[in-house]
Amino acid sequence: MAPKFSRRGFLLSTSMVGATALISTSGMAAGKQIIDLLNPNSPLMMPANFEPSVWFTMESNGRTTIHIFKAEIGQHVGTALSQIVAEQLCLDWENVDIDYPVMDSQTFGKYQGQLTGGSYSIHEMFDKLSRASAVARQVLLEAGADLMGSEFEDCRVADSKVIDDIFDQEITFSDILSETTIDYEILEDDLESAPLIARENFKIIGKSIPALDIPEKLNGNARFGIDAYVPNMQYAKIIVPPTRLGATISSIDDNAAQNIDGYITTIPVSFPDEAKQGGFITDIPVVIAKNYPAALRAAKVVNVEWITNANKDVSSETLMDGAKALIDTKSEGIKYFTVGRLDDLDHSSLLNVEADYQTSMVAHAPLEPANALARYVGGELHVYSSHQGGPLIPMYLSMYTGVPAEKIIFHPHLIGGGFGKKFEFEAIILASIAALKTNQPVKLIFTREDDLAFAHPRTSTYQRLSAFVDSKNQIKGLNHEIAAGWIVFDKFGLIKPVVNGQAQETDERLQLFSLTGSDHWYDIENTEVIAYRHKQLEDAVPVRAVRSVANNYTVFSLESFVDEIAHAVGADPLNLRLSMLHGKGVNAGGDDSNLYPVGMKPFLNVSPLQRSASINGGKRLANVLKLASGLANYGASVLPENTAHGIAIAGAEERTNPSFSACIAEVHVDPGSAAVTVKKLTVAIDLGLIVNPDGAKAQIEGSILWGLSNCLHEKLTIANGAVVETNFDKYKWQNIMNIPELNIHIVENGSYPSGAGEPATSIIAPAILNAVFNASGARLRSLPLNRNELLQKI
Amino acid sequence: MAMLKVNGNSYFVDDTPDTPLLWVLRESMQLTGTKFGCGGGYCGCCTVHINGEAMRSCRIRLGDVEDAIITTIEGLDPGSNHPLQKAWQKEQVPQCGYCHSGQIMQAAALLADNENPTDEDIEITMRGNLCRCMTYVRVKKAIKTALEIKRGGKF
Repeated sequence: MAPKFSRRGFLLSTSMVGATALISTSGMAAGKQIIDLLNPNSPLMMPANFEPSVWFTMESNGRTTIHIFKAEIGQHVGTALSQIVAEQLCLDWENVDIDYPVMDSQTFGKYQGQLTGGSYSIHEMFDKLSRASAVARQVLLEAGADLMGSEFEDCRVADSKVIDDIFDQEITFSDILSETTIDYEILEDDLESAPLIARENFKIIGKSIPALDIPEKLNGNARFGIDAYVPNMQYAKIIVPPTRLGATISSIDDNAAQNIDGYITTIPVSFPDEAKQGGFITDIPVVIAKNYPAALRAAKVVNVEWITNANKDVSSETLMDGAKALIDTKSEGIKYFTVGRLDDLDHSSLLNVEADYQTSMVAHAPLEPANALARYVGGELHVYSSHQGGPLIPMYLSMYTGVPAEKIIFHPHLIGGGFGKKFEFEAIILASIAALKTNQPVKLIFTREDDLAFAHPRTSTYQRLSAFVDSKNQIKGLNHEIAAGWIVFDKFGLIKPVVNGQAQETDERLQLFSLTGSDHWYDIENTEVIAYRHKQLEDAVPVRAVRSVANNYTVFSLESFVDEIAHAVGADPLNLRLSMLHGKGVNAGGDDSNLYPVGMKPFLNVSPLQRSASINGGKRLANVLKLASGLANYGASVLPENTAHGIAIAGAEERTNPSFSACIAEVHVDPGSAAVTVKKLTVAIDLGLIVNPDGAKAQIEGSILWGLSNCLHEKLTIANGAVVETNFDKYKWQNIMNIPELNIHIVENGSYPSGAGEPATSIIAPAILNAVFNASGARLRSLPLNRNELLQKI
Repeated sequence: MAMLKVNGNSYFVDDTPDTPLLWVLRESMQLTGTKFGCGGGYCGCCTVHINGEAMRSCRIRLGDVEDAIITTIEGLDPGSNHPLQKAWQKEQVPQCGYCHSGQIMQAAALLADNENPTDEDIEITMRGNLCRCMTYVRVKKAIKTALEIKRGGKF
């Protein structure tokens, strides 16, 4: 480790902002004085903490508390972020604690976003935390050297100690902070020249350290949002409207509820139309009672008259017909991602392959339903819940309650399953309105029926792909049309059309998260993605980000289609893919900053390092494909009858933070019954750099089985404008039965980390359905897998 | 006023006899380790032991269990050292962790009844305990690890 800047530099930069000097004088003298109530004449000294950055606090007892602003959804993000800090700060891991600070209206700006989703957390925080921690280590090194009377050039830092090897002396961080007060705030300039420990010297990053949040999840001590408690709280339950969106309350009759012990009141919550844009909220009665069972009983007998609109005639079928019609009539399509000029391609002598695909809606269905506890006290609105977008809560809640944002405080709790669902604000808004109206704390809990009726599913889609192939089996042109409801996240995720890697200066805006994955890494001279926004669907169902988001449908159709092309020209699907993965042109990767959504720079566009996450893109995809096919013995194994391999690859989550992944599925199809058995899923995935290998593997295991569940089981249906499946007797998903063998190989190529939480989800369904075709000859072009359809096609 | 025996303690609660045990545990007694997932007995998040049997507390009425011995995740082992808890830690099973009180309570009843469960026994016993993070591979592995711990294996 070679320090790049001197103490002189520190003092200089310190004096520039008027902060106090690096090191104060004797012992506790600079600590804060507090009054000893037993003897007011003998004040106590509270030692000062060392807080060089907003990300962690070091105490004189040697403990370092790392402040986790990302939501803990089960990805063990607190552990991984702490590993990054501990590595660069050279902490003894035994001295590491984490906390989840409260969030207020300043949090979003001060901590730069801190939303939890998109598999961004490590990608977003790695460089920031590394640099802040490295600078803090340097400050401690200089302080320790000073206290020991050593030259700081002779000192090094390890295991929470400053060590002088020449004079063979050392001092712990604890002793440093007990003997001095370091009042230093890290500046931007410091970060630029942070003395980073190089990857080859990592001791903590890259180790499978047990997750810090697991022990309390084994004995009932973990506090999820639904476990929040304040004294004297009332309970609330909603009454679900007859259609998902568009119903308004006409009248409420709660006479029968008055006889229920504990019933308090029913609040008809209504909003003006502009507040309901994007399906963020809908009119809804909130039943309040002294306890939750009383609220459940009362909600059954409160009679609500509703006014419904045209949505009552909407069904999954009408939405799919509408999507198909958008493509058939080429209605208001916008080119999202263009390479070359497909329009100019002379395809007179080329083979044309075309196919249509459909995907159904999928619900998040986290096991912890939506919930929120709200308390208005002393002019402040306090919210206790589990939420993926905590820093946005003051702003959003202010709009819906009228309480000033600076008076709103969010108390984060563990999230009992998110997958995107816990970005919604409904429960928080409703609990807050109920608390304000009743002037009592209110805890709102959605039943499972409420939670699924209030689904924010992945959009259903209709897609059409068309390719032109020459006599050498080269795909000369590819057109991908996508009709889908777009996720409406206000300003987030909007992007300009991108042509040959360059954002176009036009007024057109597209929803990146609704299209990502179609912007593939194949070297195809002329490629074009056309997006059709399905507004009829958005008006009826508020579609949102569900684990791996658009990749699930774009990768499904694209990867199915690549296999269809291979079969049409008699090529091997593996060879056809490899022939297009040379990382040419835009597929070289390394900087896809033109694909960063407008207005999302705070999260994504932080440093050149972060922009480099996609470096060598196409080649890395080729590598994981070769690896997975090798591990699965693709093309060389002797498989049982009616059993075959199928391939799929993706660079999810987005081109800016891609985890390059490949799946080989081994699938048996019983020709008599069309029963599909997924026997083995081999996945190779390149995450760039891995902070916690076992934690990353757990995320990939979960992602793969999510993909399996989406492929085989999951379908959310709309009828008469409402969700049909409102509990797990009807909304079916994967249980512990028939779990295929998983063979996961994680590649670490040392480039900037991408993300592990979602990307593998999207490659499972296309790999399975490609294998189904290879095993049975039947091509299925819709999700989820429909066994009756398969039986007819065999 | 009903009296309940939970985790070796006696509690008086004033919920009505038709109240689901789940809400009595969670809200009246603040034993929130037992989770609400579906209310219909489909997901297993609310699994507790009633006289040693794993049951869904969302489907049990308070009035039916007044004389029963009830154990929740908080009372499974005083030091959180049940072989399953050790195994769950070793295999790093939970992700979000929401379903794992139920998973552990369901598996604990299996281990108490069956000293040598087969893979099929494990799958059949655990199939009603859903995990949306899809930790199933590790659940299976940890149950086997717990069996080894129970047999005296060291971890």
